[in-house]
Amino acid sequence: MIEFKKVTKIYSDQTYAARDLSLLIRPGEFVSIVGQSGTGKTTLAKMVIAEEHPTRGQVVVGGWDITNIKPADVPVLRRQVGVVFQDFKLLPKKTVYENIKFALEVCGVEQRKIDAIVPQVLKVVGLEEKRDKFPHQLSGGQQQRVAIGRALVHRPKVLLADEPTGSLDTINATEIIELLLKINTLGTTVMLVTHNKEIVDRLRRRVVAIDDGVIISDQQSGKYNL
Amino acid sequence: MLVTIIRTSHFAFQHFWRNLWISAITIFILTLTLFIVSLVGSLNLLAGQAIKAVEDKVDIDLYFKQGTDEADILKAKVYVESLPEVSKVRYISRDEALESFTATHTDDPDIQAALAELDSNPLPASLSVQANELNQYQAIITQFESSEYDTLVEDKNFSDHQAVIDRLSGLTKRIYQGGLIISFIFVFISVVMMYNTIRVAIYSHREELGIMKLVGATDWFIRAPFIIESVLYALLSSILAMSILSVIAFSAAPYVNAFFTGYDFSLDLFFVTNFWIIALGQFLISLILAVGSSMLSIGRYLKV
Ligand SMILES: Nc1ncnc2c1ncn2[C@@H]1O[C@H](COP(=O)(O)OP(=O)(O)O)[C@@H](O)[C@H]1O
Ligand SMILES: [Mg+2]
Repeated sequence: MIEFKKVTKIYSDQTYAARDLSLLIRPGEFVSIVGQSGTGKTTLAKMVIAEEHPTRGQVVVGGWDITNIKPADVPVLRRQVGVVFQDFKLLPKKTVYENIKFALEVCGVEQRKIDAIVPQVLKVVGLEEKRDKFPHQLSGGQQQRVAIGRALVHRPKVLLADEPTGSLDTINATEIIELLLKINTLGTTVMLVTHNKEIVDRLRRRVVAIDDGVIISDQQSGKYNL
Repeated sequence: MLVTIIRTSHFAFQHFWRNLWISAITIFILTLTLFIVSLVGSLNLLAGQAIKAVEDKVDIDLYFKQGTDEADILKAKVYVESLPEVSKVRYISRDEALESFTATHTDDPDIQAALAELDSNPLPASLSVQANELNQYQAIITQFESSEYDTLVEDKNFSDHQAVIDRLSGLTKRIYQGGLIISFIFVFISVVMMYNTIRVAIYSHREELGIMKLVGATDWFIRAPFIIESVLYALLSSILAMSILSVIAFSAAPYVNAFFTGYDFSLDLFFVTNFWIIALGQFLISLILAVGSSMLSIGRYLKV
């Protein structure tokens, strides 16, 4: 589903964020990418949504080589890859419902479809009761669930979560991870970037550890051991 | 497609309201610019009309000797008309000359009394000759003097308004140059203003814009609200400028028309007949200014 082929990423200031890195994530997998801060995890995520481009090598998403993707095709790619971040990136003046709706509106989706999709998504993330609340009226975990809901509106093949639990307490973090697992069982490939040892250890899923732009371990049913 | 137009317009209106102060100032500056450009245009038009009015007054009068046959005068008329430099020849018979003389001096009792005492008409018949171009009068006179008809003529009168025309042309040119400079300054100010207004709009919507990019909105959808916003500015400012211009045109009309009495020019009529052309011109100018500068701003600050 996602394939990095000998990817090297050098930022303009000569920082290496990936060094000849190869990684294959199969459809339906739930993969955790772990590693210390500044090792290149976010850069990998950014290359998947074509926010950054590899300096050398190739990136393939869903069989589509996006290494030299045309700017006009980037929106097409982004509707196939949902993303969530540590900061939830919600619009503070919009309600839960409106925040999710926004993602469909700006993609030119018809009102009729929006009215059908948003309630479904709210159900998946368990926020039907909170639909008219504003972000500041929600807990961090609930806000992150709104963001996940928004990432799901286009029924993406891949959900990319970059430190989604980074600013949450253990209980909320656990809830979010359970939600990601549920989404994974519904058929979406999940790429989770995280620091949280506890979570990774409990997941018993594939773990890829990165250090200084290089994969240092890749284990099925792995543990967080750096 | 329709959905996109409605939604992007909706966003454009939101931008407009959220930064209402900046929107208002932008419209004010655009309106001022349009107004100044139109004012310079109007002054030019009026000066042009004034020159034309004076040019119309320039002519050569050929006064025929008393007792010249009307048939000979008409032959002379045909000859003058055949000269390539001549645009118009008018024959004024002795009776007509007397009539208009009496009419123009109707308020002067001395002249009226003097005319009443004469039993015969003292005024000569004449031809009034107009050239195509101002500088052709001398050539017409020279040619006429070498013709057989010159002997019929007692007196020639070339009413030269060249000095007035030169002064007017000089004035027009100065108005034009000054106006051009002022217009350029205001055009520059409104471009800078517009550029910054869109920049502020982009800045104040950076969160939304970031999310739009992440969830897969197209470049067009992201940019369109800002373009529509600038079209809105263009529309509102040209309506405002046109309203101000209407008020001024109609209140100045009596004075301007009084100045052009006797000539075929009326400011209010001119304004009414050309209303839509002027309005469209204003809208186009502001559209180019507003959309052009917002495109520059979008290109610079809205990375998609
Ligand atoms: N836009 C950028 N320009 C230059 N260097 C960058 C940029 N983004 C990230 N880096 C550098 O690349 C390295 C990897 O960063 P990142 O992918 O964010 O790591 P992580 O997500 O693992 O913390 C770091 O050294 C970081 O400073
Ligand atoms: Mg990171």
